[in-house]
Amino acid sequence: MPPVINKEKCVGCGTCAQICPVDVIKFNKSLGMPEIRYPEECWHCNSCVLDCRQGAIRLRIPLPAQLLYVDVKSVRGE
Amino acid sequence: MLQVKEQLTCDVLIIGGGIAGLMAAVGAAEKGASVIVAEKADTRRSGSGATGNDHFLCYLPEYHGDNKKEIIQEMEESQIGGCCDPELFELFADLSGDQVREWHSWGIDMKPRGDWEFTGHAKPGRPRIFLKYAGHNQKAVLTREAKKRNVRILNHHLLNQILLNDEGQVAGAVCLDVTEDIPSVQIIACRSLIMCTGNTTRLYLPKTAGWMFNTANCPACTGVGRASAYRIGARLINLDMPHTHAGPKYFNRCGKATWIGVYKSMDGKPVGPFVKKPTRELGDITGDIWMEMFEMRRKAGEPVFMDCTETSPEDLEYMMWGLSNEGNTSTLDYMKEEGIDLRRHMIEFQQFEPILVGRGIEVDKKCASNVPGLYAAGEETGNFRGDIGGSATFGRLAGTCAAEYALKNRSQASPELKKLPVVQESLDFYEQLFTRADGTGHPGWKEANVALGQIMNDYAGLEVRSENMFKAGLIYLRRLREKTRNILACTNSHDFMRCLEVLDLMEVGELVMLCGRERRECRGKHVRVDFPFTNPLNNNKFLQIQKVSGEPVLTWRNKR
Repeated sequence: MPPVINKEKCVGCGTCAQICPVDVIKFNKSLGMPEIRYPEECWHCNSCVLDCRQGAIRLRIPLPAQLLYVDVKSVRGE
Repeated sequence: MLQVKEQLTCDVLIIGGGIAGLMAAVGAAEKGASVIVAEKADTRRSGSGATGNDHFLCYLPEYHGDNKKEIIQEMEESQIGGCCDPELFELFADLSGDQVREWHSWGIDMKPRGDWEFTGHAKPGRPRIFLKYAGHNQKAVLTREAKKRNVRILNHHLLNQILLNDEGQVAGAVCLDVTEDIPSVQIIACRSLIMCTGNTTRLYLPKTAGWMFNTANCPACTGVGRASAYRIGARLINLDMPHTHAGPKYFNRCGKATWIGVYKSMDGKPVGPFVKKPTRELGDITGDIWMEMFEMRRKAGEPVFMDCTETSPEDLEYMMWGLSNEGNTSTLDYMKEEGIDLRRHMIEFQQFEPILVGRGIEVDKKCASNVPGLYAAGEETGNFRGDIGGSATFGRLAGTCAAEYALKNRSQASPELKKLPVVQESLDFYEQLFTRADGTGHPGWKEANVALGQIMNDYAGLEVRSENMFKAGLIYLRRLREKTRNILACTNSHDFMRCLEVLDLMEVGELVMLCGRERRECRGKHVRVDFPFTNPLNNNKFLQIQKVSGEPVLTWRNKR
């Protein structure tokens, strides 16, 4: 689930649902809260994180999109 | 039946509120035209420039001096070159400096370190062409500037069809308002239309299986501009020439532009010819202009890494600042969370799947297509590419020219567009998409997108291109497209939007295959195993495709 909303911090302003470039977040009118309805369509652009005034959203980068990194010294046997 | 809202009217309709679209809006509004921007998401954060950029292609005489020719040559030999008309390079060089200064006056910081600074994407001993800037706020600023000029922005409105009048001029468009759970139809009458729908992602699929939206460029940009323009007879150009980006392997959003390091093999040997030591002035342009290198090294059993471990602490800090301006804050957050330390870790890079950036609608020096009233700018255009700099500069020019055209034709009465046969057919089709979804096992858009992507990857991809692969691919793709049109289904606005996107992508995919088949030679990333020769007779030629009497017609023309 790429964007994760902290429900304690969210005030239900709906900005994240409005600005998501790929329509991942929808505003649930009956709950008065945004919800991550299409998590697998996340672009990992961070717009929701950047625009949330409450700091209530973080991105969890899904496992298939992990960065592949190595420790230089250990792979070169130094 | 979907609700059809009351028809809206404007002089200039702009499709897509990315960098090119918002600049087009500014340009058109300043000419006195009434302007509507129909944006699929929200202009504050939409398109490939959504969260920023940090390098702006331009020619600035006060920095570069008078050697415009040399700067243009450097542009042609950079990652944006290869498919650009020289006359558009010339025009871009003349206009891009003004665009830089205008953005700076609006509050997009084009000299964040006090003076003009050109760094990165550069070859040793050659002039540098990318201005380093702090573009993290660019979409908010451009949205504000458009609104200041009374531009009407319709967020969450996507285009499906361009409409023509009896004289074959652009008369309007069918858009879909996807704000609510069930879409409504918004027909907009206009005198000119500027297509600014960006790149074409999700045509080819990334390597991360099941994660189609894990792309470097905005995955909501899916070729509606090219497909709808082709349907009304616009000429498209350079679809045969694939382009790719490179970046951190699997984390495709990252991009590669701003990294300051050296591409190296695991044992520490530089793999490119340009740099041995990392510097902010050059970066390592190998990944910009020789992306085949990644696959060549992989086939030789060697992963390729971006090694920043020898980058100076000052350059590393400069790089992190650049990544943040470029909008790559998710990368920075992720590295922090994961404990990735670029002073001791190197990150594997790869070449990404092909995209149609700077391959698409053919334009002239007024950004006009061959269809009266249809203009295009940004990554949408097929005979020029300038990334953010190009989108900004030619977006503004397209706005000016489309407004002049519209104002000249203001006396023309706008027809009642709802009655046009194409509108009625479209409404019927939308209805079918919804009524099929009755639990009887109709496929949704995801199936269709995966099916399309696998055909494109295998039959029109980078690895193997040949007459028979294209021939087979075309048979498979046409069958898929026909079947998809007849059985695809959706239940809400979101899936409806995705269905239309996939159908546009299929249309564009077919055109890519037709063009690729026609180019019977090797050139750039277009590698024909059955025609291994690069024919010098084609050096000065581009390939166009246009619908004539319902059929695709391919023609060659000289660069101009």
